[in-house]
Amino acid sequence: MKKENLSYIQNLIIKLGDNVCFFGEVFFNILRGRVRVIEVLKQIYEQGLQSVGIVIMVSLASGAVLALQGHVVLSRFGAKEYIASMVALSLVRELSPVFTALIFSGKAGARITAELGSMSVNDQFLATRAMGVDPIEYLIVPRMLGCFLVLPILTVISEVAGIAGGYFIGVYEAKISSVFYLNQTLKSIRIVDFLSGFSKVFFFSVIIGWICAYQGYNTKGGSLGVGKYTTQAVAYSYMLVIIFNAILTKIILSIWG
Amino acid sequence: MIEVKNLSKAFGVQKVLDKISFSVNRGEIFVILGESGVGKSVLLKQLNGLIDPDEGSISIDGVEITSLSEPELLGLRKKIGYLFQEGALYDFMNVYENLSFPLREHTPLKRKEIVDKVKKVLSLVGLEGVESKFPSELSGGMKKRVGLARAIILDSQILFCDEPTSGLDPIRSRDISNLIQNASRKLSCTTVITSHDITNALRIADRIMIIKEGKIAGLGKPSEIKSSPNAFIREFIS
Repeated sequence: MKKENLSYIQNLIIKLGDNVCFFGEVFFNILRGRVRVIEVLKQIYEQGLQSVGIVIMVSLASGAVLALQGHVVLSRFGAKEYIASMVALSLVRELSPVFTALIFSGKAGARITAELGSMSVNDQFLATRAMGVDPIEYLIVPRMLGCFLVLPILTVISEVAGIAGGYFIGVYEAKISSVFYLNQTLKSIRIVDFLSGFSKVFFFSVIIGWICAYQGYNTKGGSLGVGKYTTQAVAYSYMLVIIFNAILTKIILSIWG
Repeated sequence: MIEVKNLSKAFGVQKVLDKISFSVNRGEIFVILGESGVGKSVLLKQLNGLIDPDEGSISIDGVEITSLSEPELLGLRKKIGYLFQEGALYDFMNVYENLSFPLREHTPLKRKEIVDKVKKVLSLVGLEGVESKFPSELSGGMKKRVGLARAIILDSQILFCDEPTSGLDPIRSRDISNLIQNASRKLSCTTVITSHDITNALRIADRIMIIKEGKIAGLGKPSEIKSSPNAFIREFIS
């Protein structure tokens, strides 16, 4: 029993170490300027295009639901004028960064793992090395940088879409004047509110890119392995995004309030 | 040109290669034969530095590759063409992009020169006009031909071919063996092939090495292998 536990812990430490080395390799490639700009642009296009539609739809619906619930609850206190502020602050401070990260992980992150996993089981990483090219530089760095650059853009799109969803409910359901709603929205979002949500996105993008690329790069076991590692990548990144969101929220609230 | 001394490799408790030593002369076609799972592919990957040996040395043109770092190995591999068992072509690139990739990476050739070079190697492997096809649209034999074209496109002085005829019918096997032989002679390159295709090995090889249980069971010219008194070799080639 003891031996089993030790071996499990040893394995865990080895895996964590391997993860850190993988990230280190990617990071040093970036530091040394080994970044293929065209490949990064391709990734930004592919990852962004793949996720933008679903991000807009989910954000519109979330903004609308927030406004609907806000209308019911705030009307009880005669404060339905605050719907705009509630929707905007909820989205900007918390919901958009987290929702976008989760959607992005399920769409673009899964794609990264599946794509790299398929390359791994078909010897394409070995072939890259055999051709004298570093697969980390050519295949991993662009995908991870793509994540890092796309997720913040998608988050801003999500915030705008969410506010639009809330606007429609606020104006057509709660009968708040359009100008008043927009004014309230703009007045309620301070730069600190925006940054407290937006700064988390960079951590999420690193987490998603790292986990999904690592899982894909280390995929084994043929097509079954591709499915297994892709599922793992999405599950791990969901879990870590939610856990890190709690930790980061506490830290950010302690700093900015 | 390629010198292997006391090379050993084990995976867990399974010893795949046990202190084997051999050398491959410049310009010769050297075929490594053995039963499936005997460690032929592992040996070939070690010759290219893709897998580290447990012990022993491998030198290519006098350079000891087991002591090289990965960046140094990347530099060395530019001089070595490698044909993988299933071709290992990039799924997301068409044939032209797959073939032009090493040229774009390692040569200063202009676009027009790259296009010409790709056409030339494709005609050498008998596959004109497939530039725009993706690997998923190619048959197994065509993938191997494209893989071979990619392996020779840099006019490498060394060519490694991992099971080039596995999974092919006898006619396609003969064709791909002939292509490797022609390409090897035309480019005067040193070629190491792993295979269990005895017929074609005996036909195209300058020398053959047979591996059994991690050790060399036989090494010599095809005529010497054919007349070997060793019972295993006689059974293997019969």
